[in-house]
Amino acid sequence: MTWKWFIKIITDYWPMFLRGAGVTLYISIIGTIIGAIIGLIIGTIRTIPQSDNVVKRVLMKIVNAILTIYIEVFRGTPMIVQSMVIFYGSLMLFNINMDKMFAGIFIVSINTGAYTAEIVRGGIISVDRGQFEAAHALGMNHIKTMLYVVLPQVIRNILPAMGNEFVINIKDSSVLNVISVTELFFQTSSITGNVFRFFEPFLIASIIYLVMTVTVTRILRFIEKRMDGPENFNVIPGNQMQVARPEDLVKKPGKTGC
Amino acid sequence: MDNIIEVRHLSKSFGDNEILSDINFTVNKGEVVCIIGASGSGKSTLLRCINLLEKPSGGEIIYHGNNVLDNKHDVYAYRTKLGMVFQQFNLFNNHNVLSNCTIGQMKVLHRSKEEAEEVAMKFLKVVGMDQYINAKPRQLSGGMKQRVAIARALSMEPDVMLFDEPTSALDPEMVGEVLAVMKELAKSGLTMLVVTHEMGFASEVADRVVFMDQGVITEEGTPEEIFNNPKEERTREFLRRILRDAKPD
Ligand SMILES: Nc1ncnc2c1ncn2[C@@H]1O[C@H](COP(=O)(O)OP(=O)(O)OP(=O)(O)O)[C@@H](O)[C@H]1O
Ligand SMILES: [Mg+2]
Repeated sequence: MTWKWFIKIITDYWPMFLRGAGVTLYISIIGTIIGAIIGLIIGTIRTIPQSDNVVKRVLMKIVNAILTIYIEVFRGTPMIVQSMVIFYGSLMLFNINMDKMFAGIFIVSINTGAYTAEIVRGGIISVDRGQFEAAHALGMNHIKTMLYVVLPQVIRNILPAMGNEFVINIKDSSVLNVISVTELFFQTSSITGNVFRFFEPFLIASIIYLVMTVTVTRILRFIEKRMDGPENFNVIPGNQMQVARPEDLVKKPGKTGC
Repeated sequence: MDNIIEVRHLSKSFGDNEILSDINFTVNKGEVVCIIGASGSGKSTLLRCINLLEKPSGGEIIYHGNNVLDNKHDVYAYRTKLGMVFQQFNLFNNHNVLSNCTIGQMKVLHRSKEEAEEVAMKFLKVVGMDQYINAKPRQLSGGMKQRVAIARALSMEPDVMLFDEPTSALDPEMVGEVLAVMKELAKSGLTMLVVTHEMGFASEVADRVVFMDQGVITEEGTPEEIFNNPKEERTREFLRRILRDAKPD
């Protein structure tokens, strides 16, 4: 009976499921974070304003071309194929036997980076030009403007999209089983080999995937709320006012300012 | 006299479109200079050229004896000496009131957090916004935002403040509070270059008024000369129109 098997497989193999889920989460978290950083860096580079200097302009053209190729290649080919090419390619061509876990994180990261670069570029373009100008007017250069003014706003704005990437990574890291990364799908497959049943182990796996993705979505929503800060602000009373206006008297501490 | 900024033969084109041509004027230390003129006459472009948000097409901008348009000149250091106040406030959305006023000091002038906050508080008091240091820009009214923007620029302790129509985006009832702050600043001896449509403000606080029309300075003089005795027909025409619009009855 299916239900009996279901219970039995869980009781016998829960450590393997757990380890698999752990590896899946680990690869997805690290991969998403590194991917986001790659995306932020590339997005920043691709929005550097054109220089008057000819050498710099040519250099930027070359860099941009390389980045475009990177984005197109990784967005345009399946991750499962990339895994094979990168893992066995590095073995054959460079005689490098990549650590499985490292290979997994590497593949997920550069994939996420390719997608995030475009998300970030869109995010940067959508930040009001006035924010850049105000930062420049204070004497900030492009890097400082990005670091202290623009990117924090971009990160907040792309957080929902990044959450999406994270969820996709949790699911799609399952393709890494083709290079024997011991993530959840791989572990589940091994279990099927022991119990000679397919339905119950994969049902369990799908439940675990679902729990992970739903939990991650909730946590990210919470972080978004936190980043927005409190809806209210406190008026600090008792300070000497130089010019008193009626509106200042109306505003009570803790009242929303909108 | 001690001139801070001297603009010589400045021109600016966007493509084939010449927006500014042969602009000459100086801003002296402690002076309040108001730029007036019709919409589209190039006032904003001039101000943006002065702090190099736009790259001038020709001419010179002499700051303390050096041409800032020289390639060797440090643009970023120069900009810290000019405080800019925008029509649209442009407060940093991701920073609260206090940190809007400290971020530039810390990251550009490399002041410590304590020092930056002390300076910021001093100027937030001047503009009457010291009670709102924890508020995010989106929680403030337009007038409050603009006062914070003024404090942010002042916190860099610039040599000269540039204002680009600081009250034009405000609801009428908030114009007064911003102008009041600016009058205080003018009285304190701050050097100010103000693009404005507020003729009352210009005639009250300006040491000099510059009238611009179609990308050139057509007339320049004391408020009395410009407002009571304009020499140029175009100035007269502009003043007639703006005074009529101000008092519809
Ligand atoms: N980036 C740009 N590209 C092309 N044309 C521009 C650009 N910026 C400004 N202009 C043009 O330059 C002219 C002067 O604009 P500017 O904003 O300096 O006028 P202004 O005197 O500040 O007007 P207002 O009182 O409406 O603010 C306008 O005709 C405008 O269309
Ligand atoms: Mg303008």
